[in-house]
Parts: sequence; C-alpha cells; structure tokens
Amino acid sequence: MKDFINNVRIVFLKDVRSELRTRYVINSLLMFVLVTISIIRFAIGDEKIEDEILTGLLWISIFFSASGGLARTFVKEEEKETSAALKLSASPTEIFAGKLIFNLVLTFILNFLILILFILITEYNIKNPVLFISVLSLGNVGLVAASTIIAAIISKANSKGTLYPVLSFPVLLPLLLTVINATKLASAGINPGEIMGEIQILVSYTVVVITASVLLFPFVWED
Amino acid sequence: MNTFYKYAVFLIISLVIVAGIVLPIPNIPALGDKARVLYFHVPMSWISVVAFVMSLWYAVRFLKSKEISYDIKSFSAAQLGFLFCILATATGSLWAKFNWGSFWNWDPRQTSIFILLLIYGAYFALRSAIDAEEQKARLSSVYAIIAGITMPFFIFIMPRLVETLHPDPIINNSGKINMDTSMLIIFLTSLLGFTLLFLWVMNLKTRLEMLKYRKSLKQAQ
Amino acid sequence: MYEFLETNSMYVVLLIVLIIWIGIFGYLKSMDKQIKNLETKE
Repeated sequence: MKDFINNVRIVFLKDVRSELRTRYVINSLLMFVLVTISIIRFAIGDEKIEDEILTGLLWISIFFSASGGLARTFVKEEEKETSAALKLSASPTEIFAGKLIFNLVLTFILNFLILILFILITEYNIKNPVLFISVLSLGNVGLVAASTIIAAIISKANSKGTLYPVLSFPVLLPLLLTVINATKLASAGINPGEIMGEIQILVSYTVVVITASVLLFPFVWED
Repeated sequence: MNTFYKYAVFLIISLVIVAGIVLPIPNIPALGDKARVLYFHVPMSWISVVAFVMSLWYAVRFLKSKEISYDIKSFSAAQLGFLFCILATATGSLWAKFNWGSFWNWDPRQTSIFILLLIYGAYFALRSAIDAEEQKARLSSVYAIIAGITMPFFIFIMPRLVETLHPDPIINNSGKINMDTSMLIIFLTSLLGFTLLFLWVMNLKTRLEMLKYRKSLKQAQ
Repeated sequence: MYEFLETNSMYVVLLIVLIIWIGIFGYLKSMDKQIKNLETKE
C-alpha cells in the first residue's frame, strides 16, 4: 500500500514536472479558454442572456477545453516514446492513478479559471454558490474519470486528435446531461435536497467509471 | 445451423408480415392502423439492444481469454446491431412523422437510440483507426465495455429531463401488459422471428470474418 | 403523397416493412460482395 501511494506520487510528480518544463498543455489551454470566452462575449454583445443558456455555454467551454487537455495525457507518452520506460517503472494501476490525479488537478485549475472569467464577462448570477461549486466539482471528477481511460485508448490508435471527441461524447453524455441540469438548478438557487437524485447519479457514474477503468486499464496498457 | 432453422425463420417472418397487415386490430385512439408498426419497429430496437449486449459479452470473453474468435463475434454482433439500430431509427422516425408531425423531435426514446447509434459509430471509428489485429481487438473491447456500463444511466436520467410521448412498451412502468391477446401473440412471434433471423445473419457474418482473418494470416506468412 | 399516407396509415406500415426489407437485403448484398472479394483475391 505504501509502495502504491509512493509510485502514484512519482508518476504524478513526473507529469507535473514535465508539464512545468514545457508548459505546453497549460499555455495552449489558457489560450483556448481565452478564445472561447471572448467568442462567447462577442456573440452575446450587449444582450442579456438567460442563466440557463449561460450554464449550457459554460459546459460547452468546459467540455472542449477539457478534451483539448485530457486527450493528450497518454498521447504525449507515445509521441515522446517514453511509454516503455513508464511501463517498467510502475504497475498499470499506479500509472493510471497517477495520470488520473494529474488530470484532476489540471481540470480543476482550468475549470475554475473558466468559471471566474465567465462570471466576469457575463452577468452570470449564481444564487447558490456552495451547491453550484460542489456540483461543478463532482461533474469535473466524472469528466476526468471517463476521459482518462479514453485518452489511454486513443493513444494507441492512428488518428488521435479527431478520435477523442468521437469516442468520449457518447460515454460522457449521461454525465453531461445530469451535470448541466444540476448546475442549472443550482444557479437558479435551489435547495440541495431537490437535486439529490442528480448528485447520486453523478457520484455513482464516477464510481462505476473509475472502477471499470482500473480493471480495464491493464488491457489498454499492455503491448 | 441446420436447414430446418432457416426455413423456420422464413416461415415465422412471412407469417408475421401477413398476420400483421391482414388481421384486424382493436381500435386504438390516435394510432389506428399505425399501431401495426409495433410488429416491425419494436423488434428492430430490441435486436439493436440484444446485439449490443452480445457484443459486450463477447468483448469480456475476449479480454479474459485473448481468443481472437471472440473478438470476431463481438465485431459481427456490433455490425448487425448497427444495421438494426439504423433500421429502428428510420422506421421509428417515419412513424413519428405521421404521429407526432416531425421526423425527429428528441423524444427520450429517439435520444436513446441516437446515443446507441453514436456508440456504435465510435466503436467502428476506433476499430478502423488501429491496424494491428490483436490491439484492435483489445482496445475496441475495452471501449465497448466502457460505453456499455455508462448506457444504463440513461434509464435514470431520461425520465428526469423530459416526458416521453412514445406509446408504452410491452412491460410499462406499472408492470402490466395492456395489449390485445391476438396482437400480443403476433408481436411476440415477430420478436422471436427477427431474433432468429439476427442470429442466423450473425452466424454468416462471423464465418465470413473468420475466413477473412485466416486469409490475412496466410498472406502474412 | 403526405396527405395520402396520412389518411391511409396502412401504407405507412407497408413503407416501414419495405425499409426493413431493403436494409436487410442491402446488408446481405454487402456480405455477398465481401465473399466475392475473398474468392477472387486467391
């Protein structure tokens, strides 16, 4: 157990370090977020948009920025041909856990940046901030859970860039539908009790997907 | 698969087509004769789900045993499932045009079949993007399983979002079967007939894919 | 055409049966073609 945690930490720190060295993902995603948000800003103009539509727009930016960043987690190992070395240094489960945590940290930073920018440029009125943030975080965890295993699958395929949205959309759809509905209700200022069902779906989706990913990842990773 | 089986399939489906069109049905408000669509449309969606489950089942067997024949079965089931999924969508939307006024209006059931189509499409896109046979089998099996375990969530999500206008399925929420007995018999016969047809064509497809695989092995040598 | 089908809904059923038949036939045809490819590439 101690070894496991230690190895997971090593994989995670390796990714953080290689990211900090090049800052490729962070830089490109920051630009992506800025571009998306400003397109939304120009599209809105001076009009006042309903909060429900804004929630949809928020999730569109989250989905696409996440797919830009998360899709690369395993692809970069294949491109730099470091996957063989990684294979030797840790077990599949440890690698998966390390990557998952790295992706989680990445998306959390990114999504809260998106959220802050979003509130600044639109008049997004969140009536129940605590609930909103918790639902958004739950949604993020589910998003990362499903994206990580799909990123692992596409890293072995030929047309990596275009394949990611194709594969991830049907898998993510139950999560997205639920989380969009839940954040919409939370921003409208609803009591936590009323979206308990949504929260249950989010949690069970995440648990099911992570369990399946841990079981299936060794099959993706072996050569 | 003996000869009797194939003639039985032919007979059952012919019988269903004749009985489904000729026999009188009780008058159902707003549906009328269009209720007969049930005999032909519902088996299509039934098979597309059965095929998906079969494909999943063989995907799991493949990952356990690494026998390429399981992957071939999984792929064949998926391809036929895709065909029946398209047929279910096409027949369903034609029916919807005359009952709801438009070909597509995002009814929960249309959404579910659309998602099933997307999953099948993604599965084939993934398969065509990998060259090595063994790796293709492994990755697509993993994807099928991941997609398969997220599908059941729709059962809980859909009723929360929109209400359906779709006529009650055979076993509705109250668990009662409310269908005329003669209609029910034809309907169940139709389900049986189309399922047998599906199994037959899947058997053909599996044999074909097996031959292709053996040939590619021979050429590689 | 639309009005005709709307009043004679039996023909909608006929169309639907035809769609299914065309779909299955097309699939069989494509399998036939694949078998032919296997045979000729000997």
